[in-house]
Amino acid sequence: MKPALIIVALIALAALLVPPLLPYDHIAIDWDSVRAGLFTDGHLLGTDDLGRDRLARLLVGTRVTVSVALAAALVALVIGVTWGAIAGWVGGRTDELMMRIVDGLYALPFMFVVILLMVVFGRSILLVFLGIGFVEWLTMARVVRGQVIALKQRPFVLAAEAAGSPARATLLRHILPNVAGVAVAYLMLTVPQVVMIESFLSFLGLGVQEPLTSLGILVNEGAEEMDMHPAALLLPGGVLVALIACLTIAGERFRDRLADAAK
Amino acid sequence: MGRLIARRLLTAIPTLLAIIILSFVLMRIAPGGPFDGERPLAPEVRAALEAAYGLDKSLSEQVWMYLGRLAHGDFGPSMVYRDFTVSGLIAEALPVSLLIGGCALMLAAVLGISIGLWAALRAGKWQDEALMLGATLLTALPTFVTGPLLALVFGLWLGWLPVSGQNDGLSWLILPVIALALPVTGAVAKLARAGLAGELGADHIRAARARGIAPLTILRRHALRPALVPVASYLGPAAAALLTGAVVIETVFGLPGMGRYFVQGALNRDYPLVLGVVTLYAALIILFNLFADLIYGWLDPRMREG
Repeated sequence: MKPALIIVALIALAALLVPPLLPYDHIAIDWDSVRAGLFTDGHLLGTDDLGRDRLARLLVGTRVTVSVALAAALVALVIGVTWGAIAGWVGGRTDELMMRIVDGLYALPFMFVVILLMVVFGRSILLVFLGIGFVEWLTMARVVRGQVIALKQRPFVLAAEAAGSPARATLLRHILPNVAGVAVAYLMLTVPQVVMIESFLSFLGLGVQEPLTSLGILVNEGAEEMDMHPAALLLPGGVLVALIACLTIAGERFRDRLADAAK
Repeated sequence: MGRLIARRLLTAIPTLLAIIILSFVLMRIAPGGPFDGERPLAPEVRAALEAAYGLDKSLSEQVWMYLGRLAHGDFGPSMVYRDFTVSGLIAEALPVSLLIGGCALMLAAVLGISIGLWAALRAGKWQDEALMLGATLLTALPTFVTGPLLALVFGLWLGWLPVSGQNDGLSWLILPVIALALPVTGAVAKLARAGLAGELGADHIRAARARGIAPLTILRRHALRPALVPVASYLGPAAAALLTGAVVIETVFGLPGMGRYFVQGALNRDYPLVLGVVTLYAALIILFNLFADLIYGWLDPRMREG
C-alpha cells in the first residue's frame, strides 16, 4: 500500500506545485520553438505542434484529471452513503425498493447515458463530474447498506437505543462513524474508476474542453502524432496508468486490511 | 429454470422502458436538432421535415409512437443518414462489434481464468503476489492507451499487423481484440483467484484432501466449478465494459462498428440512431446478466431456483 500511495502523492504534488515554477504555462505559445524535441532548452519535454510546453500541459492535465476525479468521487460518496444508510437503517419495504433500484441501475449501459449527457448539455466540467458521480455511487450504496444492517444488530447500538437515544442521534453518532472506514476504502476504489471514465470521455472529445486539458485529451493528441513523437503518447498514458494502478492497489489493500480487522 | 428465465425477461421490460424513455427525453431537451446544418433550412422545409419524422408532435406522443414501432421491431429511419433505416445501419455495424467483443471476451476468460487459477494454487507464495499485481496492472490499462500503443509498436514500428480498417483476413482483429481484452483479463484473473482460494479453504475440500484424493482430482471434481461463480457474476459488467471499450477501439482502429455510430449519432442529434443503439446495448447487457445467472445454477447447484 505504501509505495503505491507514495507514487500517487508524488504525481499529485508535482501536478500541484511544479506548474507555477515553469517558464511557460499550458496554453502559452512559444513561436520560436514549435514541435521542439525532448530536452530542448527551456522545454524539458519539448513542445507540441502549436508550440505549447508539453511538460506544463502534462502537469496541468494531471491536475485537472485528479481534481475532476476527486470531485466526482465525492459526489458518488455523498449519494452512495446517504442512499445506503437510509436503505439499511429504515429496512423493510423501503430497503427492498431502494436496493431494487440500485440493481436495476447496475444493469444499464451507463457509460452511454453519460456520453448522452455530455453531448446533450454541452461539455461543462461541472457536468463531467456530476454525471460521473451519478453513475459511480451504486457500489458505495450497496456496501454502506450492508455495513449499516450489520451495525444495527451490534450491542452498542442496541444499548444506545435502549437508553432512549433518538434515531437521528444513533445514526449520526453511532452508525455513520463506523461506516466511515469502509466508505473511505470504497472512495479510494472509486477515484481510479472515475479517472478512467473522465479520460475516456475526454479522449472522445466529450469531457474536459480546451483551453483546459486533461490526461485523456493528451493521450488523444499523443495518439495522433505517435509515429513522430512516441513520448507524446507514452508520457500522459504512463501517468494515467500509474495513477489508476496505484490508487487501485492502495484502495484494495486498505479494504482488505479493514476486512481482516473486522474478523 | 424456465420460470427463472421468464421472470427475468419480464422484469427486464420495465428496465428497458426506463432507459428508452430516459434517453429519449435527454436527447430531446438538448439544444440543436438533426436538421441544423451549416445553412439554416427554409422554415417550410424544416416544418415539412419535422412533420415527416413526427417531431412536431408532443414529447409524450413521440415516445408512445416510438415504443409502438419498437414493439414491432422497427427502430425507425435515421434522421441524418437519409434513406437508411436504423435497423439497416445496425445490421451492418453490429456483426463487427460482436466479433471484436466476442473474441475479446473469450480471450479474457481463457487467459484470466488460467492466471487466476494458477495464482490460487500458489496462494501466499511470491508467484501469487506477482500474478495478482500483474492482474491489477492489467485492469488499470484503459483501451484508449493500449489501443494506440499496440498500433504504434506492432503496426508502425514492427509492421507486423494492420492498424486501421478491415482486411480480407482476420489479422485486423488481433490488435483491437488484445487492447479490449487486457483490462477484462485482469478483472477475471482476480475474481478467479479469489473464488478458488476461498473454495480451497472450505471444509469439504479439506475433508477430500484428508481422505488422500489427488490434488488435481480435487480441483477438477470439487473446487473448480463453485470457484468460478464470481467470474460468472462478472459477465454482465464485462459485457458492458467491452461494449463501451469498443467505442474507443473502433475509433482508434477505424472499424465500422456500433460505437462509432453511437458517438456520431449523438453529436449529429440523430435521435432514432442513438436510441436504437442504447436500446440494443441495454438489452444485450440484460441478456448477459441473465446468462450469468443461468451459469451460476450450472456451476453451483445450491443456487438453482426451484
